[in-house]
Amino acid sequence: MRMGKILALAWENLTQRKLRTSLTTLGVVIGITAIIGLASLGEGFRVEIRQRIEQGFELDVLIVIPGSFTAALRPPFTPQEVDGVRNVSGVRLVAALITLPQAKVYNETNAKVNAFTVAAVNFSEMAQMFGERFVPIEGDLPSREENDTIVLGYKACFLNETTRLVSVGDNVTMQIEIEIPKPPSTIKINKTLTVAAILGKSGTSGITNFDNWAFIPTETAVQLLGREAYNIILVKVSDIERSEKVATDVENVFDNPYSISVLVPIAFVRQVDRILAIVQLFLMAIASISLLVAGIGIMNIMTVSVMERTREIGILKAVGAKSRTVLAMFLSEAMLIGIVGGLIGIFSGYGLSFALSYVLSGFIQPQQQDTAFPTASPQRMTISPVFSLEWTIIGFIFALIVCVIFGLYPARKASKLNPVDALRYE
Amino acid sequence: MSNILTVRNVKKSYRMGKVLVPALRGVNFEVKEGEFLTIFGPSGSGKSTLLHLIGCLDRPDDGEIFVDNTNVLKLSDDKLAELRLTKIGFVFQFFNLLPKLTALKNVELPLTIGGMPEKESMEKAKEMLRFMGLETRMNHRPSELSGGEQQRVAIARALVNNPKIVLADEPTGNLDTKTGWEIVQLMKKLNEDKGQTFIVVTHDSHIAETADRSVYLKDGLVESVKEAPWSGKQ
Repeated sequence: MRMGKILALAWENLTQRKLRTSLTTLGVVIGITAIIGLASLGEGFRVEIRQRIEQGFELDVLIVIPGSFTAALRPPFTPQEVDGVRNVSGVRLVAALITLPQAKVYNETNAKVNAFTVAAVNFSEMAQMFGERFVPIEGDLPSREENDTIVLGYKACFLNETTRLVSVGDNVTMQIEIEIPKPPSTIKINKTLTVAAILGKSGTSGITNFDNWAFIPTETAVQLLGREAYNIILVKVSDIERSEKVATDVENVFDNPYSISVLVPIAFVRQVDRILAIVQLFLMAIASISLLVAGIGIMNIMTVSVMERTREIGILKAVGAKSRTVLAMFLSEAMLIGIVGGLIGIFSGYGLSFALSYVLSGFIQPQQQDTAFPTASPQRMTISPVFSLEWTIIGFIFALIVCVIFGLYPARKASKLNPVDALRYE
Repeated sequence: MSNILTVRNVKKSYRMGKVLVPALRGVNFEVKEGEFLTIFGPSGSGKSTLLHLIGCLDRPDDGEIFVDNTNVLKLSDDKLAELRLTKIGFVFQFFNLLPKLTALKNVELPLTIGGMPEKESMEKAKEMLRFMGLETRMNHRPSELSGGEQQRVAIARALVNNPKIVLADEPTGNLDTKTGWEIVQLMKKLNEDKGQTFIVVTHDSHIAETADRSVYLKDGLVESVKEAPWSGKQ
């Protein structure tokens, strides 16, 4: 018997028992709705979280430090080592930073400026590396020749909402402590610098929030410290997905690769993503239980149906239908329930996820932002459900498989009926 | 004329609870191609059991059955189904039409199962129903047809695949005398016109008398075989 004909017959049989068929299908619909809904919403949640993280971190910037955050295992990086990193394949851009120890910055009235970290940088490198984040709102970034200048982060310029500490053109005093070997002690050095620019608000809570930083030209620091030794190397990779490979290659630039640390932000994101994926899978596994219940419903209804149609099966066999034809007929019915239930479930699943995301975004309040300065507008946390072809296909196939597996027992029962007994069945 | 059917020492028992009830106790007979044969006997004599065995719906406990020179005992279930599809047509006492299908679809069923394209099978089924005088009833469901009409549909279904043997199990048992008689005449006519072999199970002696030959079955054994005076036609 032709498959098309078997399907047509199965369809006819199902449509003739409308209420029963729709109730059975409803079970599948609910199961798939739950699975697809959670998949789509979970996917949206992951995307949202990733975007949030991306806003806070430059994910394509690796941070290379001597030793670890807590202890320096080796002296700072030499210019040769920085060049070595620059030559690693997959590295797009390198910026080397010298952090100035115990640096404090005072304005013309001797008030302390809120610069927690003072770093010496090459301004054009930083501007290239951080694009939108390293842009002055006042003044201009100093060129390479302009020594004895300073660029301040946004919050470094203000005491509070209304009191401004410095403006472009002001002179500030930077005080640093330098260790001297003989006799072993530290000396304080004061250096007067001119404010060249004030940076815009970073709008991030990540490691590259420069709001409380101050930057001076590398040359100035080298003069002050008497040596060119870098504490941080920032490495922008050309392909974010190859971050880990570049990190390894960077490590190998150094004589003792274990004495340095390379922080790979994308690895962190991946880890978070992995955790979220596990949570999502777990939720979907729970949702799958409803599909199993639907499967048992199918098995139940089909077993009853086989009993009711025993005589019909006998007739089919008497006129020459093979066992496998009967099997195919009943399996087709289960399969059709799976197809229809699956398709409706996919649609209502996405419907559900959109409805849920709408309801949820009403509950999630806008993130509390620093309201001191009217820069970034408060962002509402919105989870947009994601249409995933992969999950759609998986959901659909899952519906089919469940229906076929649970339909198998009654269908086999039907196909194995002895024709004579089936014909005699009342 | 060659034998289309040979039944040799066929035995069949049924289990009723714990008791084994013999239905057939060694039945022997032959049927020639084109014959109109009745299997006649009181109820409980094993007629229907025998018909089911001939029709490959069931397997005997012992003995041999040859349908068109094929030993059906050696065939797999699938091959038996194929044999039923291509060489055997069934007519039942209770018509056994599929209630949800129209007359036309019921007649088409064996062709559909055989994998014939729909256009062709529909044409063939229509032709068969026209032949049965049911052209105006094609799109009716069994419940909308009279008993006689239903049985004619059933005969059309049995014949649509052009089988070599048509097996009828009390085909008039559920019809009034007049209609039953019409059905018998129809089968006789088909037998004469198309040359198909008919084996009709009946407990009605009038029908038995119309046959070329009549096998009288009693207590699971062939008691006698009566030949009609005209059976010299062979």
